[in-house]
Amino acid sequence: MAAPSMSFPRAVFAKLSPHPYLLRTLAPQPPSDAAASRTNGRAPHEARPVHIHTSSLSHAHGSALVRTGDTTVICGVRGEVLPVANIPQYRPQATQQQQQDDSHERADERGGLGRGELKDYDLLVPNIELATGCAPQFLPGVPPTTLAQTLSTRVYSLLHSCRVVDPKSLRIWYTPPTAVGDEMDTEEQQRQQEEADDGDDGPQLAAYWVLYIDLLFVSLDGNPFDAAWTAVMAALRDTKLPAVRWDPDRQAAVLQSYSQPTTTTTATAAAAVPGQDKNSVKTTPLPVAGLPVACTAAMFPEKEHGGESMAASAEATVGNRHWILLDPDRSEETLCSETITMVVDCSEGGETRIKSIEKQGGVVIGRELIRGFAGVAEKRWKEVRDAMQ
Amino acid sequence: MTVIPEATLSVLPRADGSARYAHAGYTVTASVNGPIEAQRRDEHAFEAHVDVVVRPAAGTGGTRERHLESILESSLTQLILVKSFPRQLIQIVLQIETTPDNDYVNTKLVQASLNFPIVPSLLQAAVLGLISAAVPMRATATASVVAVVPQEETKRLVVDPSPRDLEQAQSVHVLAFTSYDELLLAESEGDFTVKEWDGVYEAALKICCRPTSTKAGINVMLDDSEDAAGSDMRQFLRSTVEAKVAADLYWK
Repeated sequence: MAAPSMSFPRAVFAKLSPHPYLLRTLAPQPPSDAAASRTNGRAPHEARPVHIHTSSLSHAHGSALVRTGDTTVICGVRGEVLPVANIPQYRPQATQQQQQDDSHERADERGGLGRGELKDYDLLVPNIELATGCAPQFLPGVPPTTLAQTLSTRVYSLLHSCRVVDPKSLRIWYTPPTAVGDEMDTEEQQRQQEEADDGDDGPQLAAYWVLYIDLLFVSLDGNPFDAAWTAVMAALRDTKLPAVRWDPDRQAAVLQSYSQPTTTTTATAAAAVPGQDKNSVKTTPLPVAGLPVACTAAMFPEKEHGGESMAASAEATVGNRHWILLDPDRSEETLCSETITMVVDCSEGGETRIKSIEKQGGVVIGRELIRGFAGVAEKRWKEVRDAMQ
Repeated sequence: MTVIPEATLSVLPRADGSARYAHAGYTVTASVNGPIEAQRRDEHAFEAHVDVVVRPAAGTGGTRERHLESILESSLTQLILVKSFPRQLIQIVLQIETTPDNDYVNTKLVQASLNFPIVPSLLQAAVLGLISAAVPMRATATASVVAVVPQEETKRLVVDPSPRDLEQAQSVHVLAFTSYDELLLAESEGDFTVKEWDGVYEAALKICCRPTSTKAGINVMLDDSEDAAGSDMRQFLRSTVEAKVAADLYWK
């Protein structure tokens, strides 16, 4: 296939036979002295720069717009109040004990018991929507695609397994007035409830904040998971929940404000308009633990249609090369079946903690490559951390 | 709860191939049909489309099942000789029959999070079903799930963890290997280091890719029994199929 003799422009050639086109740019033939690169001009281990813009949505408690190349995703976090009376299978004993028992608390941090509250009461609700037209394959009026469902499962699972949100910060307490004065600000109230001994007149758990994390892909040019996860983390770090007080008479949470108390009628409407009275409403930033960063790469094989048999491919040395393409774009994703996603967190210092590995769709990425990929993911972590600040 | 895996081949009379697989409290029945005519939108000009449907033990499938389906689909496409059947469809339906019940953990019917411990059972049932349907494959696969459970300052590797172990586990890993000892699938979540993952890899490799005595070079190290945590999946797969073939050819 002599490329120079063809009179096609590059774009047509790329469209007609994308695999040989990408292969030729990655492995230039001897006469040409072009440096090996991908069709998008990046080196194989070069990711697209991340741009993050936070607090752009005025009606969400936290939001972020993340752009990596032509992949753009917007994430909004909204808190809604869920009174414990409305939880069908609420178990008050478990949480009260957790609050008081210190050793239990420590076990929570190590093991998975602390996950119970977040998971059982569905306090984190991520949802991902791939907007119509964000990529050519997304047509209007169809049910959520497998990609959207898979992505939201992965985000949901990672949110819980990384424990980025502490269930303690989502609890809304009520302290009966016999124990303390009712004109008391949140910090003091919290301090009080931590010191309070057990008993019926101690602070009671009245409600939870439920965080609705909505993601919308404005445009999709490959690597949706990395962008989605970066957006979730940036939006959560941006989230400021309004300080609320539990009103037992109305069985609803009411906003605390610096000036006159702004009250709302229903519990769910308590935080309905965060944009309104923004200056007067007290807010507390949501504590977010760690900074896990996702890093995805795709494996590009030299053979277009895969090795016919695995045993046969071992003997053939030519035609057996492969490239690991970091942060693949859409055209590269269609050519690669094997992908690896690694989520790392270097924020604690010391040894890098891996939060998740997802490798599927092929047999080339083995043990050594996964080990080596941890270093690539660490580099990516630094880039994303710098973009967040 | 079965500690030793159990499997039966060709349990369904009408499907091209089927298998029932039970291990670690999970029972999965797989039915395989193929190669059959593909729907227009699933048709691929160069290869067969592998369609995996996961049906949960209760309720209808949700986002979690879609995720399992996508994992299995990408893995099984690597195993099946899809290039030999262009514009065809190979359909694999996996019905989960039982899951291990748990007295301690509050289990909701519909859960959105990833479900790693069931992946080996699903994959194993699918592979057995494909063998039963005589779908040409370039390799078979074996999978196992390993959890890292903290235990008094040290960490313990638990193969085929119970729901209680999973609740306390620091990290959970699923690894699948082909019969050429290649890493086919690696899914992990939790909190771990590269070193810990290496340990998990070793443990999983030992279960999935133990050299069988029928192969050249009999391994003498097999005899030490303290390492025999977990079963030898490859040997199990082999003996199951051997038993089925022997039973089918009994009349000769």
